Amino acid sequence: MASSSQFKQLEKLGNGTYATVYKGLNKTTGVYVALKEVKLDSEEGTPSTAVREISLMKELKHENIVRLYDVIHTENKLTLVFEFMDNDLKKYMDSRIVGNTPYGFEMSLVKYFEWQLLQGVAFCHENRILHRDLKPQNLLINNKGQLKLGDFGLARAFGIPVNTFSSEVVTLWYRAPDVLMGSRTYSTSIDIWSCGCILAEMITGRPLFPGTNDEEQLKLIFETMGTPSERTWPGISNLPKYNAQHPQHLPKDLGALLQSQTREKMDLALIDLLYGLLQLNPDRRLSAKQALNHPWFAEYYQ
Amino acid sequence: MNDSKALRVLFKSPVTDDMIRFLTNTTLRVIPCAKETKNAYPSPPASPSENGKRSLPSLMTFITRLVRYTNVYTSTLLTATCYLHKLQKILPKDAHGLPSTSHRIFLACLILSAKYHNDSSPQNKHWAEYTDGVFCLEDVNLMERQLLQLLNWDLRVEEQMLCDSLESLLAPIRYDLERSRKAMARNQYHQRNMSASSSTSTLIGTPSLQSLKSLPALPKLPSLPRLASWSSSSSTPKTLPNKLAQPDSSIVYMRSDYSTATLV
Repeated sequence: MASSSQFKQLEKLGNGTYATVYKGLNKTTGVYVALKEVKLDSEEGTPSTAVREISLMKELKHENIVRLYDVIHTENKLTLVFEFMDNDLKKYMDSRIVGNTPYGFEMSLVKYFEWQLLQGVAFCHENRILHRDLKPQNLLINNKGQLKLGDFGLARAFGIPVNTFSSEVVTLWYRAPDVLMGSRTYSTSIDIWSCGCILAEMITGRPLFPGTNDEEQLKLIFETMGTPSERTWPGISNLPKYNAQHPQHLPKDLGALLQSQTREKMDLALIDLLYGLLQLNPDRRLSAKQALNHPWFAEYYQ
Repeated sequence: MNDSKALRVLFKSPVTDDMIRFLTNTTLRVIPCAKETKNAYPSPPASPSENGKRSLPSLMTFITRLVRYTNVYTSTLLTATCYLHKLQKILPKDAHGLPSTSHRIFLACLILSAKYHNDSSPQNKHWAEYTDGVFCLEDVNLMERQLLQLLNWDLRVEEQMLCDSLESLLAPIRYDLERSRKAMARNQYHQRNMSASSSTSTLIGTPSLQSLKSLPALPKLPSLPRLASWSSSSSTPKTLPNKLAQPDSSIVYMRSDYSTATLV
């Protein structure tokens, strides 16, 4: 068990969902760390987000998941000691905006980041953990081009028959349509939708579905992907917030739409993968394992 | 396979007296605790500052009250058993507790089960209120922190762990499932009737639900929005007693309700 005197607190790196993150230096080893400080409110006790994040991350040891080294728990403060990462994907994308025009990444970098993202997600799912908040801000990168999943504050274990799930999960832009319509029986497919949104965003430099509220979010999704029906998505009408009166949209050509926003050449395999990840019906979405075996990634697994 | 199904039936069922007895016994086995003896040694009356504190209720009463006040899900409640078993393995063989230790252990396990397994759960100040003055907020925060340290923050629960921990509650359900499966195979005509009647008579199967039945009932299992309101600092559980008066009994209802639903 570490003590806080072991670390020198350096500059502030940002504010997480429920905590402040500082850069820190391990005085004994000289290794940089990220110190996530959670102020403890005595009325709440240890926040459930911290309880879950620590319990889940302690055991998740994978090169595409940020390592949790240690936990320092005192009466007033909880400090999580994480592996230090140079940047996050959101800041990195923002740094590439020239003037007012966002630019996506070179296709080779898009592929390498998406591959690592799916590796991390596949490992979570194998360990029966849902991340439930995948977005560029929560994907940390370092100068070696490594990408790692961070911020497991909304994550949850699945696979044991305990209780229903909240549908108030995942940042709006990356939230799957079934969850937007109030599904509480979602599973791993919730993270896959986010992986599809992030893939498109890395290509163009713009968020794919930047809605401002639940209704607009669904509208944006349906305008591009087509309005689903009982025929294309059996069971959809049983979802709590399903609206049969939703304007009918035909699916647009997603490939052409994204291609118009990037100078990089998008091949057919990439477009096929995007459709696999962005299936409206959660049962038809690819699994992380399947996505990793998709022909677009052939150069990595061949 | 059958274990898995039995576990789902068990978790869908309401909290019963048998479950509370099971939890009481499991908690008492974690660590031997001194009895709260009144006559062993003469002792002066409580200090004035302690006057506000209630005397320690029996563990079973304590658990029963917590269940009533919180409307905790059956799954959350029973999953606490896994933490009790983990703790039993961790604690040194010669460890001894105070009279209130088993109460603390149970409450801490229940709080962590709720925080780990539910998307929204009561705050510790609410848990403290649910103890009817047995523990204060500082007590609750301390027991939570100590349990997290003892368990080394490892709150993961696998289905097999649940099945092992809850075996004595699962066995009668499994037996019942097996019986109704055979009955169904034997006579397709009476499928519905058979499963309904056999479940009612054999599931868990002791008639001693009186102590729970006689308690004023709480509203049905909490919906997520209501649980969410617990997290906001403004709402306190003081509104609960009003709801206690509602006549519909929800903690105990006929088992045939769920057993037929799951079987057919």
